[in-house]
Amino acid sequence: MNEQAVYLSETIDAIVAGAGSLLPELLLAIFFLLLVTLDLFKSPTIKRLLPWLALSGLFASLLLQILGGYTSGDEPFLNLLLSDGLARYAGILFSTAGIFTILLSLQNRPLERLQQGKGEYYALILMLVLGLNLMGKSVNLLMVFLAIETVSIASYILTLTLKHEKRAVEAGLKYILYGALSAGVMLYGMSFFYGLTGTLNYSSEVFRIGLLQANTLLVTVAAVLVFAGFFFKISAAPFHFWVSDVYQGAPLPVVALFSTGPKMAGIIVILRFVKPFENQLAYADVQLFLGIAAIATLVIGNFTALWQNTPRRLLAYSSVSHAGFLLTGLLAFNTDYTVSVLFYLTVLLFMNFGIFLFLQLSENTFKVQKLEDFAGLGRAYPFIGVMALLYLLSLTGLPPLAGFMGKLLIFSNVWEAYTLGGNTLLLTLLIIGVLLTGVALFYYIKIPYYLFFKGNFREENLVTSLSDKLLLALFALPLLVLFFKPDLLLNWMKQLLAQTL
Amino acid sequence: MDFILSSLIFTPLLAALVVLVMPAHLHRPIKAVALLGTLVQMGLAVFLYLRFDGVAFANGQQGYQFVEKLNWIGFALGNLGLFQIEYFLGVDGISISMVLLTGIVGVIGIISSWTITSKVKGYFLLYLLLLTSVMGCFLALDFFLFYLFFEFMLLPMYFLIGIWGGPRREYAAIKFFIYTLVGSLFILIVMIGLYTSVIDPAATARQLGLLERGMAASPEVIRQVQQMLQQNTISTQQMVHTFSIPAMMEAANFLPDSLLHVMSRITLWDLPVRFIAFLLLLAGFAIKVPVVPVHTWLPDAHVEAPTPISVLLAAILLKVGGYGLIRIVYPVFPDAATYFSVLVGGLGVLSIIYGALNALAMNDLKKLIAYSSVSHMGFVLLGLASLTTEGVNGAVYMMFSHGIISAMLFLVVGVIYDRAHDRMIQNFRGLANVMPAYTTFVVIAFFASLGLPGFSGFIAELLVLIGGFSAPEATGMLPRWLTIVAVFGLLLAAAYYLWALQRMFFGKFWMFPELRESAVITDLNTREYLMLVPLTLLALLFGIFPHLLLDKIGIAVNGFSELVLQNGQEQLNIVLSTIVP
Repeated sequence: MNEQAVYLSETIDAIVAGAGSLLPELLLAIFFLLLVTLDLFKSPTIKRLLPWLALSGLFASLLLQILGGYTSGDEPFLNLLLSDGLARYAGILFSTAGIFTILLSLQNRPLERLQQGKGEYYALILMLVLGLNLMGKSVNLLMVFLAIETVSIASYILTLTLKHEKRAVEAGLKYILYGALSAGVMLYGMSFFYGLTGTLNYSSEVFRIGLLQANTLLVTVAAVLVFAGFFFKISAAPFHFWVSDVYQGAPLPVVALFSTGPKMAGIIVILRFVKPFENQLAYADVQLFLGIAAIATLVIGNFTALWQNTPRRLLAYSSVSHAGFLLTGLLAFNTDYTVSVLFYLTVLLFMNFGIFLFLQLSENTFKVQKLEDFAGLGRAYPFIGVMALLYLLSLTGLPPLAGFMGKLLIFSNVWEAYTLGGNTLLLTLLIIGVLLTGVALFYYIKIPYYLFFKGNFREENLVTSLSDKLLLALFALPLLVLFFKPDLLLNWMKQLLAQTL
Repeated sequence: MDFILSSLIFTPLLAALVVLVMPAHLHRPIKAVALLGTLVQMGLAVFLYLRFDGVAFANGQQGYQFVEKLNWIGFALGNLGLFQIEYFLGVDGISISMVLLTGIVGVIGIISSWTITSKVKGYFLLYLLLLTSVMGCFLALDFFLFYLFFEFMLLPMYFLIGIWGGPRREYAAIKFFIYTLVGSLFILIVMIGLYTSVIDPAATARQLGLLERGMAASPEVIRQVQQMLQQNTISTQQMVHTFSIPAMMEAANFLPDSLLHVMSRITLWDLPVRFIAFLLLLAGFAIKVPVVPVHTWLPDAHVEAPTPISVLLAAILLKVGGYGLIRIVYPVFPDAATYFSVLVGGLGVLSIIYGALNALAMNDLKKLIAYSSVSHMGFVLLGLASLTTEGVNGAVYMMFSHGIISAMLFLVVGVIYDRAHDRMIQNFRGLANVMPAYTTFVVIAFFASLGLPGFSGFIAELLVLIGGFSAPEATGMLPRWLTIVAVFGLLLAAAYYLWALQRMFFGKFWMFPELRESAVITDLNTREYLMLVPLTLLALLFGIFPHLLLDKIGIAVNGFSELVLQNGQEQLNIVLSTIVP
């Protein structure tokens, strides 16, 4: 009894001492509760304020994480959450993604028309970002699971925002089924790790040593199972089947969020989780599995995208292919790949929100459903067309846009890792990755092809709002800046990451 | 003077920005701004050409003139050390000829574009962007900068073909884009490999504290750093990786444990990695040249592109491929270049013969000329592969001369197409009776292209063939039969040109009946004279006074072939002895 009391008081002390490091998450939680509570009121004034409240919550957390100064040393909070530089940068990305989502939602027609559940929608975005933040900080398998589930639950509901649409319901159902399956598989794998090493804290030395002593086959099986769960989140093959349906059914701001938020968080989780497996000799099988998964993701994503004829499905598979590039980046073991991967994630954030905003604009104003519906739009509205072109070229990875820089950095690391270790798998990945850019061009170029080459758009003069145009330019600007001066961001990232060490 | 190269690159961009803010309905002012921009660019190019004194092509920066070097991107990348991209421009004898050509053809293209009536603003905007990126390609000495311009070239071209082109324009535009993009992806792989393997000795010396910041590096310091590098005594954190092409040209700047080092033992498919890198680069640039069998995008692109864009494509865009081979591939991998000389020469001869045979079979005049381009660019490869002074001089001369003559050829095709909306050879006979002046220029262009003495094409072909024939003794590069086969290309060229002349222009005037209704057959107008006369004069000028160009390029080319030969033999021995212990 007494022992427990001592343990309890120690725990409480640790919580109080470490709470500071969770300030951004606490802030998000408070705003989430505030939103849920205020949503109960029927007053239209309050209802109208809700998005702005969510926005200010996200802004507050963004600012807090940019400014920093709240972290409490390098000690993980209760051995669960580590507030290091990586988590801080990830948090900045997540908050930005949340802000962009809300900005997109404010411009979205179907959401505007929604009678019920608007407050809930914005609250869920906050909850999702909170979950992402937790994913970014987790160093404990159980915490990872909880964080991923927080994100997943919010995602399932967000997919179903437009309940009256049949395809939304279908997408939600598919998503939840796949999600539950992969979560189960992941949990099963985690239990293996606990059994093998006796700890859940995968950043600890105990875990590392436990793995080295364990049966290699068992470790490989466990790793494969756990990665299954992560792959589901980042939409890597073979856990990508939900992607095209969810992208087809969910409202576009949510799709944009899914294509960035959980993917970024999943990559951060993998980034931390993969560290113990860097030893090429001991974990050749795990690395082989990851390499094959990366190749499969790249090939499936790029080649399936070729056959799509709706922009949403095309972008869904493009998002799969980007997961492949990110996995490729993570395989450049023993090089400084963290910075490159984070840079790629940052670029991905802007490109994806940009292209989805463009798509939302096209769907709302120009009733675009299929690729053919883009015909002539770029000619009639050159500004929108040129912006779309910028995003698509950046997604393809052509200069002078930041997408190229992201790929260049990742491929440089892979080459370096190949030079260091001589692992042929890496060379294969490099060559496949580079050459698939050619395939990527083939499907991305379909959109500008219709925008600019095909017959003139119906001549009715449709109005596009100024805020849409401003947002389009806002997302495009960083893509140019990060191509011409990537060192601005890279050097800042290095400073932040130095906190980890 | 300090920023003349930047001005050359960015003048069209500035004009493009002006066009961007102009209202779209002001067709004439837009055209005038574009013309002014290209005229200024041409003026600068001519000025540069006159001021350039053709100093030696040296190992390093000294060989380049009007150098501009600014730090652009730099950051530390962990194990990779520092990562440095420079805004690094310069001209030597080889690039000066291309700069002059770009300046001239840029203006001719604008005059030819004067008849564009649809979406004028977009057209001239893209045209000017294209000129900026081509000029950037010819002036960049940093691989990253080169690659940036090289890739950016595709985009304006894609739209120019795809929007203003002929009936199958969309297909042609996408084919062009995909082909050349795949080519540049091969180049990208090698670029990544090169910069992770190469350091900038001067910047590394600064990192090591051997050199004060802002001081120029003396050769001793450079040699010291290179020795330290080869002995593995520089820590990776202090290395400054660079994209600078001159730095890549020195084997001593390669990290000893990198895959692209001459002593690397690692092989892929039984070839040293350096050889693979050479082949990838060769493939990348060969698509652009284009070399048979990766030439199939060219006839489509040419046939569908509007006349001025065909002119630009043939006259300057294709040159980027050959220029890339000379600027990057050969000096950086001289060992592989000597090892594969028969392959390169063979591809050249294949292009010469295959292109000519295809031209012979074409019914479409524009396709005929497109294939004659393939055939002529084959000479560039042949001359380059010989690695003799004459051969390489001939290759550069061929690029310049083909730029002038192919511009003429596509313009004359444009003339008949503008009038009859058709250019099938069998649909016309005896055009000389109704269009005598036009026929004169066609004859001039055809004869210039088939290598009549007195025109620049003759000098180029002569030099290449002399180079090819002397190669077995002088450099030991090419078997003699290859050059002998290439000579048949000349014969075939005479055949397809003369046959086309005979079919279309001589005899009694006749036209395909259906064409008659819409066709207005008139002789050349002032605008067309304005383009054809200067080009004719230039072809004659450089045909009669070849020293005008050879004086400028000669020393650089001598330096180039000596460097490639000497380094090539030395490094090839090292490479081969390392992998076969």
